[in-house]
Amino acid sequence: MANPPPYPDSNSDTGDDTRVRPDRGSTTSTPRWVKVFGIIAIVLVLLFVILHLSGGGLGGHTPPIERGVEQP
Amino acid sequence: MTMTPRLRKFALTAHVTSSVGWLGAVATFLALAVAGLTSQDAQIVRAAYLAMELTGWYVIVPLCLASLLTGLVQSLGTTWGLFRHYWVMTKFLITIISALILFGFTQTLGHLGDLAADTTLSIDELRNLGQSPVLHSGGGLLALLVNTTLSVYKPQGMTRYGRRKQHEQRKGSQP
Repeated sequence: MANPPPYPDSNSDTGDDTRVRPDRGSTTSTPRWVKVFGIIAIVLVLLFVILHLSGGGLGGHTPPIERGVEQP
Repeated sequence: MTMTPRLRKFALTAHVTSSVGWLGAVATFLALAVAGLTSQDAQIVRAAYLAMELTGWYVIVPLCLASLLTGLVQSLGTTWGLFRHYWVMTKFLITIISALILFGFTQTLGHLGDLAADTTLSIDELRNLGQSPVLHSGGGLLALLVNTTLSVYKPQGMTRYGRRKQHEQRKGSQP
């Protein structure tokens, strides 16, 4: 087997048999998909914080069972 | 550090196996969590929670650690690098966040197992415990599906660090 290329983006051999188009994405700006992922991540973090602050939680990490309390 | 082709294949096999195994184990966990939340049979709910505890500790946590470790080896041992391509970096971040949430969730796993063994609890009390596992495993499954998609499609885009490294490499290879 040949040695791996210096950079996967500059050659179609990715080293794992999943081919990548050569010399694509040579632009210097941040790709659109990264921006979309970033926005989704920010929204999820905000949602998580709001849910926890509002007391709703995500089902909670500790089960809401109070043991040892005698019923009348 | 660059691995030999044979070692690279082995590391890739280990990474794919552990990552896809983690995905499958989380899907199984989700099915058990849904059964625990919706079943009308107390025995099934208890059995689901006990199975979730075992699956969590002995399958999901080890596969998560294996996926993270083999992913680090795979990225740092090849020319892909860890911070050179956006898709590799995104996968790494998703894996780290998923692992942290999973380690936090192991507390709940222990509680679930204990409470499932408590025969004094009613089925309604037991079923109320099932919301957190459903949400956590559902979110985890989504995150791992995103990771799998990123691995297959390898969307374009190099980071600033990656471009600089590429430039240095090309400069160094010129006579």
